[in-house]
Amino acid sequence: MTSTINTTNAAKALSSRRFRKEIPQPCQQKPSLLASGWVLLSLVAALVPLLYLLSISFMTQGQIAAGILLPTEPAFRNWANAWHSPIPQGVLNSLIAAAGGAILTLTFALPGAWTIARHRTGGKALSGLILSPWLLPPIVAIIPLLTLLRILGLTNTLEGLTLIYALINVPVAIWLLDGFIRRIPIEVEEAGRIDGANEWQLLTRVVVPMLIPALIAVGVIVAILNYNEFLFATFLTQSQDTQTVPVLLAGMLSERVQDFGRLAASSLMAVIPVFTIAVLLQRYLIEGLTTGAVKQ
Amino acid sequence: MSTDTLQRAEAAVAPPEAPEKSQTFRRRPRISERFHHRLFIAPSVLVLLVLAAYPLVFIASAALTQSSLGNPFQEFVGTENFQTALTSSAVQNSLTLGTGYAFGVAAASTALGTATALALWRSLRAGAFVRTVLLLPMIVPPVIVGILWSFIFSPSGGLLDTLIRRFTPGSGTYAILSDTTWAIFGVALADVWEWTPLVVLLVFTALLSQDPEITEAAQLDGASGFQLFRHITLPMVAGTIVAAFLIRLILAFKVFDLVYVMTSGGPGSSTQVPAYLIWRSALQNFDVGIAATITLLLAVVVTVVTIPIFLITKRLRDD
Repeated sequence: MTSTINTTNAAKALSSRRFRKEIPQPCQQKPSLLASGWVLLSLVAALVPLLYLLSISFMTQGQIAAGILLPTEPAFRNWANAWHSPIPQGVLNSLIAAAGGAILTLTFALPGAWTIARHRTGGKALSGLILSPWLLPPIVAIIPLLTLLRILGLTNTLEGLTLIYALINVPVAIWLLDGFIRRIPIEVEEAGRIDGANEWQLLTRVVVPMLIPALIAVGVIVAILNYNEFLFATFLTQSQDTQTVPVLLAGMLSERVQDFGRLAASSLMAVIPVFTIAVLLQRYLIEGLTTGAVKQ
Repeated sequence: MSTDTLQRAEAAVAPPEAPEKSQTFRRRPRISERFHHRLFIAPSVLVLLVLAAYPLVFIASAALTQSSLGNPFQEFVGTENFQTALTSSAVQNSLTLGTGYAFGVAAASTALGTATALALWRSLRAGAFVRTVLLLPMIVPPVIVGILWSFIFSPSGGLLDTLIRRFTPGSGTYAILSDTTWAIFGVALADVWEWTPLVVLLVFTALLSQDPEITEAAQLDGASGFQLFRHITLPMVAGTIVAAFLIRLILAFKVFDLVYVMTSGGPGSSTQVPAYLIWRSALQNFDVGIAATITLLLAVVVTVVTIPIFLITKRLRDD
């Protein structure tokens, strides 16, 4: 009896894995005008600041100071200036560190997440402690980690930054993966075990293939966190050819004469990769955020 | 029965049926299995050591010694750093500001986020477009969010200034970020803009995944409209709302990039949140001893503040 309930629930969980469009909207009440108005308002609130940035990126300094909201004659110079600056190199550095860090994070986190979720190795203490580094501002760890990197001789290299990114996101990745792992019907793993698979084979041949969407989801989230990270990057990448894009942008802010248009164009250039990923992998991103962060 | 307590703890965060079943049929793991399991968690344990244990020891040692950035742990000074930090008005103000900021921002985000999630749920459809737009603010790098809102608040031709001028001609300029009272609200607004979508997504997903049978049953019993919402829908998503509040609170306690970009802690020290104060002590004044002490104090504040909310989350989940 319980077993039947389990399987149907598991099947239900599996079929609702994606944030699918065909999910029936369970709210049977009539759509209200107030609700639609509020949705529209929140869309405007989310979009207007970004559109304003886009608008500024096509304005000259004089037009901005004059309080014009939409440029009549778009000034493409800002974008050209941003392109012929260290920004593209910074975007590339950011992408390398973000992707490298995310792949390493998943490699470190997945075996641990599976073992903690399924076998409770390490007990309550480990699963309770695993998220503790995430609770405090990263500034806490910066001086100790800087000292560590100095010992390893990796300061001011992209490799050092990638390594740090790989480490700092392991707790979050374990936490996010946990929700996905619990959705795999345990029967699948038990069947594998009966067929004689050892734990390593179980993990690599049974669990990993079933977790591919989860790995993409969590990987993308972690990569975006890395891409956006600023504090560690300022300390770990001092030279121009290793600086990531948030560091370059913050540096532009401290220039004596600020060119708002160029700053806006550079910011948008930095945002393009993340926005592209968000649009293409929207489902995975949302699923990762919702499944992992709040377990149903 | 220790396994039972463990199970209950797990049941709080996961569908209860899976762990229960695995418990029932679990046999004692073989030696090679246990070896594999230990091997699998080794990287996680190592990360915990490097990210939590090592910094903790480092910071505790730094707090008890006179330490500069280049030359830590010079001389044991006992609780001197703690006395200095606890009596310093800058530290007190910063911790108070940080706590108030975190609660204000978390409350605003949760209220706005829940309202938007309910509106999405009640409006006709929330298609891919709406969801993508809602994702955008939280994936913009915080440095760029800071730049963006600095533009909006800029007194010379910023969006806010321009709009105010257009509708009320002859009014003065508004330089929110250079005002000791309003600057922190400017930062908070940027923060709320960035992270409210996360609350929307979490609550909206919880609303979608309610069991329709329960709602139907309540409707058959004659519940409708506000009653249905108040007694059926709200209790079902309350756990998620509190959990979202907790996540948001922790994110707000950690705010640094926005302050760094928008106000640099100023004007005066009116936006000097704890993370910024620690950064300033360690990397501008090179006093790692004091920085470590403030870090420990912040850790105490965050722990004290989050534990009750964490317990509420657990209680709501267990019911």
